[in-house]
Amino acid sequence: MSLNIIVCAKQVMDPETPLSAFNVDEAAKRVVPAQGIPPVVNGFCENAVEAALKIKEAAGDATITVISVGNDFVMDVMKKPLSMGADQMILIQDPAAENLDALGTATVLSKAIEKTGEADIIICGQQASDWDNAHVPLGISEMLGVACLSEARSIDLGDGTVTVASSRSDGYEVFEAPLPCLITVNNEIGQPRYPTLRGIMQASRKTPETWTLNDLDLSESDVSPALTLSELFVPASDRECQIIEGEDEADSGRLLALKLREEKII
Amino acid sequence: MGAQTSEETRKQIVSLVRDFVKRDVEPIANAYDNEDIYPHELIPIMCELGLFGINIPTEYGGMGLDFTTFAMIFEELSKGWMSVSGIIGTHHILSYIISVYGTEEQKHRILPKMAKGEIRGGLALTESEAGSDAQNISTTAVKDGEEYVINGRKMFISNGDNGNAFALMAKTDPKSDPRHRGISCFIFEKPTDGFKVGRQLDKLGYRGLDTCELIFDDCRVPSDNLIGGEEGRGFGQVMNGLETGRINVAARAVGVAQAALEASVTYSKKRLAFGKPISEHQAIQLKLAEMAAKVHAARLMVYDAARKKDSGERNDLEAAMAKLFASEVCGEVAMEAMRVHGGVGYTKDLPVERYYRDAPLMIIGEGTNEIMKLVIARRLLEKYSD
Ligand SMILES: Cc1cc2nc3c(=O)[nH]c(=O)nc-3n(C[C@H](O)[C@H](O)[C@H](O)COP(=O)(O)OP(=O)(O)OC[C@H]3O[C@@H](n4cnc5c(N)ncnc54)[C@H](O)[C@@H]3O)c2cc1C
Ligand SMILES: Cc1cc2nc3c(=O)[nH]c(=O)nc-3n(C[C@H](O)[C@H](O)[C@H](O)COP(=O)(O)OP(=O)(O)OC[C@H]3O[C@@H](n4cnc5c(N)ncnc54)[C@H](O)[C@@H]3O)c2cc1C
Repeated sequence: MSLNIIVCAKQVMDPETPLSAFNVDEAAKRVVPAQGIPPVVNGFCENAVEAALKIKEAAGDATITVISVGNDFVMDVMKKPLSMGADQMILIQDPAAENLDALGTATVLSKAIEKTGEADIIICGQQASDWDNAHVPLGISEMLGVACLSEARSIDLGDGTVTVASSRSDGYEVFEAPLPCLITVNNEIGQPRYPTLRGIMQASRKTPETWTLNDLDLSESDVSPALTLSELFVPASDRECQIIEGEDEADSGRLLALKLREEKII
Repeated sequence: MGAQTSEETRKQIVSLVRDFVKRDVEPIANAYDNEDIYPHELIPIMCELGLFGINIPTEYGGMGLDFTTFAMIFEELSKGWMSVSGIIGTHHILSYIISVYGTEEQKHRILPKMAKGEIRGGLALTESEAGSDAQNISTTAVKDGEEYVINGRKMFISNGDNGNAFALMAKTDPKSDPRHRGISCFIFEKPTDGFKVGRQLDKLGYRGLDTCELIFDDCRVPSDNLIGGEEGRGFGQVMNGLETGRINVAARAVGVAQAALEASVTYSKKRLAFGKPISEHQAIQLKLAEMAAKVHAARLMVYDAARKKDSGERNDLEAAMAKLFASEVCGEVAMEAMRVHGGVGYTKDLPVERYYRDAPLMIIGEGTNEIMKLVIARRLLEKYSD
């Protein structure tokens, strides 16, 4: 049986954008895209692609479809999952989807997943590095009525089931769930593989399918934000540097410890 | 060769090579360079990425990318560590010579393996008495039945130890006049009886990469490995191959210069002197501005030479100009970067001193800059002759 794997991937601002190039339009409550710094595929979403490729290698017969919702897609950036080895890509782009919050995004993605047919495994990055909400995967699993296995560090495919080791701060828990299900991953699943020159050449011959809200039978009101952003600003950092000096290293260490205790840090 | 690579594909490739450099090359570059260690662990990754087949035609298992993309890849690798670009530098001269001049049998036999990195190539031209004056080589190839018997010594051969196939220039007719008609080019494959790798050179820069003497002592090469199957063509074949080499060397120079520039800009914003970042002293700003303008001009010259090659136009003039200009710029910018860094730039704590040591290779290799000027002048005089 051929397995259908869906990966949700998001285009985000490069998290390594220098602070000097990071600007917020406080009146419009928007992040201003940094000039000359191209966006990237969200890091954990690349981990999701890697997880999907590993499952495909283990399963033998599988199709990986990458779905993304957003605006202003940069094609050479968004094609990276295809260059890494994903089979196809669907980009959902609609002016009406300009201001999606997590609920709206989950609504669009779950509709899109349904439209692709029978999904067996949906893999999402645990969170996106722009807003770090970690809401969307939970929303999708809720809307599709499938189990959500979070923070997978390993994924093993069984017969109609999947076993996932989920990272916890003090170790990991192992869960089994029937397919279909949704799994979120972070960097613990393993470093995303490099695309290859051949992969890039093959991806260059693939054109992602583009859908609008209309294709998903959604209207603007179906995805209007449930959350209102009341204020957006770059916090002023008032860091102060104090150099603690002592007679030698041991003395400096002792003085530093005293200072930290004084400040009730330790 | 092949179709033009699309802008979208180029961007993805540059981004891939940049990731590779950041993740796998930069962490080892300084230490390996200092200790003169060959980065063996990078080879399987480079094979997987496809970096051994950049412009080998797709029908022979390569990527069929154009020379502009080829130049971009060399620039990115050299930004991290110029020596890594050397692993695939002369490799692509050999593959180019075979793709253009090889027999169908040679192309099918050798190129797919080169594209996978199973065969890693090099160029064996220079001898201790024949560098710029390449026609003065004394290595000989004497036909004996279905084989040629090779005798001689090659010097300064990059990838000489770690590579396993070379475009070997030898005289099949030492008495020929003009001299170049007596030169043939062979695909020399290791291991072969009578062949050995001689001295490994201890170099100022380009460290980690093996540059060696190759010794041929009654060494037999099958006639099937005579490139194109015809004697006396070797000089032209290799000179044409070197033109692509000039694009790669010029692109390396741009990469090293770009790295030196970026390091300088970043450092100047952090380093305080006389109460402010040195980037706010006009003396430093003037340096940064000149460095940036030079690197930009050099890059455009490389792209122009590459584009001409891609469109099938003659590009010897542009390739020579790009190589000359970019390598001189690289030397100047590396020196300026050291000035901007002050004392710390002179130490091995930062890669700036490596850029400074690596720059002269681009001035000397693939034809010295004096020879580049001769090539340029010859073409100019030809172009404006009446
Ligand atoms: C690190 C390194 C790697 C190398 N890798 C390879 C390789 O892989 N394969 C290979 O075949 N070779 C390789 N070389 C050799 C390189 O191509 C030669 O060193 C270069 O061509 C110069 O030749 P030469 O060293 O014999 O210098 P020479 O030719 O002796 O030149 C000495 C000086 O005389 C000048 N000069 C010579 N002739 C003229 C003239 N007619 N007019 C004006 N000036 C002239 C030169 O410009 C130079 O300034 C490598 C060299 C180095 C340093
Ligand atoms: C091998 C070596 C041996 C040394 N030995 C000794 C020693 O024995 N004793 C000792 O005391 N020191 C020694 N030094 C230190 C040396 O004198 C300093 O490195 C040098 O004075 C530069 O200072 P810096 O490295 O702090 O560079 P910086 O002062 O940080 O300069 C960085 C850059 O900023 C520029 N710059 C700084 N201020 C201005 C300005 N106002 N306007 C315009 N440009 C400006 C500089 O010209 C330079 O290009 C040594 C250094 C080296 C590399």
